[in-house]
Amino acid sequence: MPNTDYPSLGEINAIQTAFEGAGYICTTRIATVVKLAAALEKPVLIEGPPGVGKTELAKTCATVVNRPLVRLQCYEGLDESKALYEWKYGKQLLYTQLLKEQLGEILEGAKGLSESMNRLHQFGDVFYSEAFLEPRPLLKAMESDSGGVLLIDEIDKADFEFESLLLEVLSDFQVSIPELGTISAQSKPLVFLTSNDTRDLSDALKRRCLHLHIPFPSVELEARIVASRVPDLSQSLTDQLVRFVHAIRSLDLKKAPAISETIDWAKSLVLLHAKDLDGSLVLDTLNVLLKYEEDIKIAEGQLPKLMATTTV
Amino acid sequence: MRNPKESINQQSASSDQLLAFMQYLRGKKIPVSPADTLDAIEAAELLGYSDRALLKNGLAATLAKSSHELKTFESAFDEYFKLAANTSAAKALVNNEEPQATPNPGVSPSQENMPPENAPDPLEGLRGNALFDSLESQDESALSVAIETAAAEVRVEDISLFTQRGQYVRKMLDALGDEALRAAAIEFEQSDPAAFEAVQALREQLRERVRDRVERAYLIHASAQTEDLLDESLSKLKLGNIDHSQMARFKRLMERMARKLAARHGRRRRRYRRGKLHVGETVRKSVATDGIPFHPRWRKIERKRPQIMAICDVSGSVAAYAKFLLMFIYALQDVLPRTRSFAFSAALGEVSDLFDTLPVEEAIERVNLKYGGATDYGRALNDFSELALAEVNHATTLIILGDARNNQADPRLDLLAEMKARAKQVIWLNPESTRMWGTGDSEMLKVRQHCHVAKECNNLNQLARIIDQLLSERR
Repeated sequence: MPNTDYPSLGEINAIQTAFEGAGYICTTRIATVVKLAAALEKPVLIEGPPGVGKTELAKTCATVVNRPLVRLQCYEGLDESKALYEWKYGKQLLYTQLLKEQLGEILEGAKGLSESMNRLHQFGDVFYSEAFLEPRPLLKAMESDSGGVLLIDEIDKADFEFESLLLEVLSDFQVSIPELGTISAQSKPLVFLTSNDTRDLSDALKRRCLHLHIPFPSVELEARIVASRVPDLSQSLTDQLVRFVHAIRSLDLKKAPAISETIDWAKSLVLLHAKDLDGSLVLDTLNVLLKYEEDIKIAEGQLPKLMATTTV
Repeated sequence: MRNPKESINQQSASSDQLLAFMQYLRGKKIPVSPADTLDAIEAAELLGYSDRALLKNGLAATLAKSSHELKTFESAFDEYFKLAANTSAAKALVNNEEPQATPNPGVSPSQENMPPENAPDPLEGLRGNALFDSLESQDESALSVAIETAAAEVRVEDISLFTQRGQYVRKMLDALGDEALRAAAIEFEQSDPAAFEAVQALREQLRERVRDRVERAYLIHASAQTEDLLDESLSKLKLGNIDHSQMARFKRLMERMARKLAARHGRRRRRYRRGKLHVGETVRKSVATDGIPFHPRWRKIERKRPQIMAICDVSGSVAAYAKFLLMFIYALQDVLPRTRSFAFSAALGEVSDLFDTLPVEEAIERVNLKYGGATDYGRALNDFSELALAEVNHATTLIILGDARNNQADPRLDLLAEMKARAKQVIWLNPESTRMWGTGDSEMLKVRQHCHVAKECNNLNQLARIIDQLLSERR
């Protein structure tokens, strides 16, 4: 039952090529999960160390299927009024003020309280209609009529209660608004959730998702990624650089450099017109790769050993 | 075009296999719910069964829920399909009922060993017996088919216990028709030793194959239950009695329990208590109600995690228990990050550093080496008072592990009383059973008066329960 909404996500090879075209080199595992997500209409929970391209995957996916990307950044204290919907209270107040006279006209001649009430009832819940609804990212993703990509970023940062709020959205692609009823997605969006694994997510949430764990890439894959992102860097320097980064990752660091750091480093080497990776150059630019003073110290101490790995 | 009916058959056979695999995964402690099963089958049908790597990726996405489970899943997948490969190859033969004739040209080993002279062959009487023939000519496919048929007949997949293997081997041998060979062997035993040897050798081969088949069935279908049984008995076993051979399993079990506790309490820690009024938020909320604050909002206060100080007796009699307590507490570092540990037998010293820098097991070795010896609670408590009493406050939980047997010396209960007064709570864990408390040189009956909680603790279940209670307490 191939999904007709996203025809470009049908075949694994096609997915890989399309993603590569958009500048994202993906493994077969990633492509397989994307295919399954489109076909089974299930959200994907992406886990992995920071900077391996979790968010990027969702963005690229939006580019590939050529649909809008709706992004919801999670943080502690995120609640439904910021994620789902909110009533436009100001507008409601303003309108009641403006319509006061109209109300007077409607109620004119009504005898007694119950008759006035009955007249008011005839107008229904005008102030709780879609005109007064402020859609937030989740509702926006549901309302889009041609589908789209919904990215719920860093779900592990949100509160536990928020996860429960997500369950309805993730399993049925619908949002319940007490005053209006249930709003279902016109066309089901592709949903990506990312997590940095700072805490365990609830089983209920995990159960609704496909799982994708993106580890640090292999040397070959990372070289391809760097080559595609920073084409100006020479082939030999790319190889040296990637091998160096892999050697650094094997050290006991507070934060190991991720792909994004490798790419940043490659870009700065291009700016510096570097031809070859030598000790002094590395020392000068190490702060691009490592974000903590202690880590830089450790790496500096091991520099000769690390440099040795860059030559084949 | 393939015959559609055939492909459906194949599909259902494959999803049967998949179901068996899920069972196997559950045995490996990957929780697979019925909904997961449906997803996995759907994914597998979408991706097809032919590409093993593709199938593995697809199933991993639907079944493995964390990076930890992913590792288990990957090894389980490889193991299972290696086990199942042999079985299913044979099964396919049974289903088709047309075993390809194995090219086993002429020379079978038994023929080679045949005596060249035309003496009447004593084995001639057995020829024509299908089982004997296929054994003698080493006809692999015929044997596999026979064994699979027998396996289906005795329902070997119902095996549930390790000890049932012998029984199933016998049943299968009977179903295969080993009876005739056995009768022949008995006959030859007296009359013709050479023929007896030959028949027995073939029977041994057969037995070997059958045993193999039963073991495979056991691994696939039953090992999960047996594992559960072993884990359960291990968690009730006295920690002091756990020997080296069980350590690996024990560690796995302990880590699993610790993970469970950490998951449960890690979450509860994040729940907030009401604190001061959050004015901004309240005003914003009150816009909806025309400025009347119907829904007051509160600033959030994060609940502090308990600080634990573990004081462990590492003298000979209780060293093993101390080791497990420390291992358990350090496995819980996610929810108990500020744990400090002290070890003593006579002198007491802080060992937290060791645990911060070394793997738990090595740290414990070091601790034993440094502080092992004869017990003196009086001195140990005195040392502790000097070293860390000042830092004990209303958030501190003191866990003392020891048998309270003080070789008739003064246990310095006054110091313990002071610790009780300062700390949030003092928990004394004694590996001895309650009946032994107060006998001989045990000071336990006096000691317990100066503790908030005094408990017998000598197996993993008790230990986990105590830590669970500790974590659930509110401040």
